[in-house]
Amino acid sequence: MEESTWEPKVVGFLCHWCSYAGADLTGSARLEYPHNIRIIRIPCSGRVDPLFILRALQNGVDGVLVSGCHPGDCHYQSGNFHARRKFGVTRKLLEYVGIEPERVQFSWVAASEGPKMAQVINEFVEGVRKVGPNRLFKDEQ
Amino acid sequence: MENKLKEEAGKLLKEGKVDYIIGFGKGTVKFRTSPLITNKEEDLDNLVINPFIANNLSRYPIELKSRVGIVVKGCDSRSLTSLIQDNKLNREDLVILGVPCEGVVDIKKVADQSKAEIDQITDINREGDSLAVQVNGSSKTIPFRDVVFDKCYGCAHPTPLEYDILLGSEVPPSLETEKSLKGIKELEEMDASDRWKFWKEQFSKCIRCYGCRNVCPACFCERCFVDVNMPQWVSTYATWQDNLVFQLIRTLHVTGRCSDCGECERACPVGIPLRSLQRKMVEEIKDLFGYEVGIDKDSPPVFTHYEATDPEDFIK
Repeated sequence: MEESTWEPKVVGFLCHWCSYAGADLTGSARLEYPHNIRIIRIPCSGRVDPLFILRALQNGVDGVLVSGCHPGDCHYQSGNFHARRKFGVTRKLLEYVGIEPERVQFSWVAASEGPKMAQVINEFVEGVRKVGPNRLFKDEQ
Repeated sequence: MENKLKEEAGKLLKEGKVDYIIGFGKGTVKFRTSPLITNKEEDLDNLVINPFIANNLSRYPIELKSRVGIVVKGCDSRSLTSLIQDNKLNREDLVILGVPCEGVVDIKKVADQSKAEIDQITDINREGDSLAVQVNGSSKTIPFRDVVFDKCYGCAHPTPLEYDILLGSEVPPSLETEKSLKGIKELEEMDASDRWKFWKEQFSKCIRCYGCRNVCPACFCERCFVDVNMPQWVSTYATWQDNLVFQLIRTLHVTGRCSDCGECERACPVGIPLRSLQRKMVEEIKDLFGYEVGIDKDSPPVFTHYEATDPEDFIK
């Protein structure tokens, strides 16, 4: 695709209990967020395997956003605490092999934080726009 | 050490304290050892302890499912402890024969240093702090610490932390930390795109033999995610993209279990620096959670456990 017409395509893994509802509230409140995000609803941020992130990037999305409940608010008590440890090392490893840190973003957004969801998505998409199209897994670079 | 090992192992078998002895046996190739797993006393004569005992044997007791006497070095003992933490092994089923380790000799380095092929080396003897290498009839002296595996530099626990019988006297930790992190530093100083290019080239070599997975004591899944075909996460076809995804996920699966024994890299037939990934993660979990692998068999594994104060500065 031409650079000038390129629009980032990002995937958002949002927790059913908070961030997904948060994104819903963003819509109900008529707040705008970029259409670049494709949202996938998941039961808990702890459900997100680093494999999902890598597979998404391998299949050509430009960025991956993972969003869950604030620490202490997990519907399953501790899913997001475990996720936090997992993501802490995941992002270090991705950075170590040379994946731009802007492409993978984690956030805590509660069901009541519609404006925050819009802001997180906005900032994330802008960050991805800056690093450009994902050519990481292309044979020619 | 070798005689004491044979004696102790013999006693264990004779008294019926263990069903099997797992140790290092003479390899079929010169200057290499292979695992020796036996329940017969007469086989114990083939046990060896020499500067080439590279294998990490802690993988075998999982499959044996019986009482086992096992010979371990410092790094292996931490793998073993990690397996006990993961409930893969019972401490009561193990009699651990600890070998204080001054470093394991990498035969490839010996060949490089003595400017010869491995086949041309006829004999290697340890003499204090150096190795006397016989190449085509002439003798060369090489400093011992120059030819040990990279993992041995900066080794914090050369003496096993968990043992029942210690076969020698304790060895102080290696202080060559800088040397041990050299490769990682070099990569970190590169641009992200150069780093990606580096790993892309490395994983283009991968033939997906799964040697790294099969030799790894921390890789104990009954069914590996690459073998799952519903859904098929990773193609079985060896493209560099799938090779890289496979290895990155494998790295994350063993993070918190990897004792940096370096077996993955040693098993790799195409020479991908796999240890670099694991070593990086060892440093990261130390940094993020203050966790070191295989130190305390009674503590929970790092990823089954969390603290309210875990770092989250990266989360918006």
